[in-house]
Amino acid sequence: MSLQARQISKAYGVQRVLDKLTLTVDAGEVVCLLGPNGAGKTTLIRTLSGLQKPDSGELYWAAQGESFDAPLLRRSIGLILHQPFLYEHLTAFENLRFYSLLYESGQSEAELRVLLGRVGLGNARPIPVRGYSRGMKQRLTIARALLCDPQVLLFDEPYTGLDQQGCGMLNQLVLEENSRGKLILLTTHELSFIRQIATRFDILHRGKIADSIPNAGISLDSLQEHYNSVVSAGAKRQKEQA
Amino acid sequence: MRAWLHSVRVLVWKDLLQEWRSRDILTSMLAFAVLSLFIFNYALELSPLNRAEIAPGIVWVVMVFAGTLGLNRSFTAEQDQGCFEGLIMAVPDLSAIYFAKLLTNLLMMVFLAVLVIPIYSVLYNQSLFNWAFFGVLALGAWGYSAAGTLIASMTVQTRMRDLLLPVLLFPLLLPVNMAVVKSCGVLLGSVAGQDINSWLNLLLVYDVIVTMLSIMVFEYVIKE
Repeated sequence: MSLQARQISKAYGVQRVLDKLTLTVDAGEVVCLLGPNGAGKTTLIRTLSGLQKPDSGELYWAAQGESFDAPLLRRSIGLILHQPFLYEHLTAFENLRFYSLLYESGQSEAELRVLLGRVGLGNARPIPVRGYSRGMKQRLTIARALLCDPQVLLFDEPYTGLDQQGCGMLNQLVLEENSRGKLILLTTHELSFIRQIATRFDILHRGKIADSIPNAGISLDSLQEHYNSVVSAGAKRQKEQA
Repeated sequence: MRAWLHSVRVLVWKDLLQEWRSRDILTSMLAFAVLSLFIFNYALELSPLNRAEIAPGIVWVVMVFAGTLGLNRSFTAEQDQGCFEGLIMAVPDLSAIYFAKLLTNLLMMVFLAVLVIPIYSVLYNQSLFNWAFFGVLALGAWGYSAAGTLIASMTVQTRMRDLLLPVLLFPLLLPVNMAVVKSCGVLLGSVAGQDINSWLNLLLVYDVIVTMLSIMVFEYVIKE
């Protein structure tokens, strides 16, 4: 299975956010999208998830040979965006049960509690989610994204709000899902954490993949240096064109 | 169809559970309705003769205005935490989201009618306890919820949703308003020489057409 974005463009008004971007992610890969603020990472994740359509270009799921927007394919994606998709007046368990029923995943109460345990919320008090801290909500968001055993994981800034332990837990979960052959694409600025699990880093700049770096034991300093040089070269090039 | 009905059932259960916990929608609707009834009671000098003429208008206007508060809130809860996007990812047929919201809003309106009728009866010393009267209000509430749910799903994505919802919705409700007020008037004996069936037919046709049209266009409304 592989996800292919071919020459996709997306603009909001006159601002072009994705500019003929081409990207391929295969099952078993953990691809990390890096890029400065406003580079188009969130737009790319939203477009790949089918929540918004590209203005031009094609999204293709190679194994299925179908448009990415088809409802059943959409339901095969575990998605994390900036907002948690959680209902504040329901408890963590009720939120998971609600989404589980919608996905018709047939998970039992025990299985949902195991999932809560995997994200470190096994012992959390059964209070409405509005009483949770930002980190606890993020843990529950991760559980919600993994709920229906999705084949594709699209995570936008998944480390947001998590403490050190939480980041470690997320890395562990991503590695487990990766070992089961899932296709994983995530964005982050937390280079120290993502360096431990990513198989490839794609640097997104001005709506295009400016560079792609395989993670062959790259050090944090080298990664940071490489990232900075790509971003500053792109900015310089654009200044000259202007 | 089975999956669609399942999605509707789960979504309605979630909406009702949320409302039971927060009581956001019902509290605001009820407070508004009771206050409006009080204000009308003091503002209008009603004789026993003209009470029957004005009752359908007062009850329906109070329900429509109070219902607008509920319509606004029903989608705000989805929008606040990005839950709309979660639903789009999870529900196979997006029209189920519309139908579930319609049912929830309709339940709220019916519940409101159940409370408004006795309060009106006490305040205005005029009994409205009549199954046919309640039935017409319920039919009106269906048309109101059908149109209101669709418009609220559009306006909730804008910054001026509180203003836009009534501005866009009220003109669309003209046939419902007329049919409900006239039908109720016939039932209370204040409108003479009119055939209630023609008004009820108008109400039913409006309800069915608006519901079907909304189901068809809802996916485009929330995805574009």
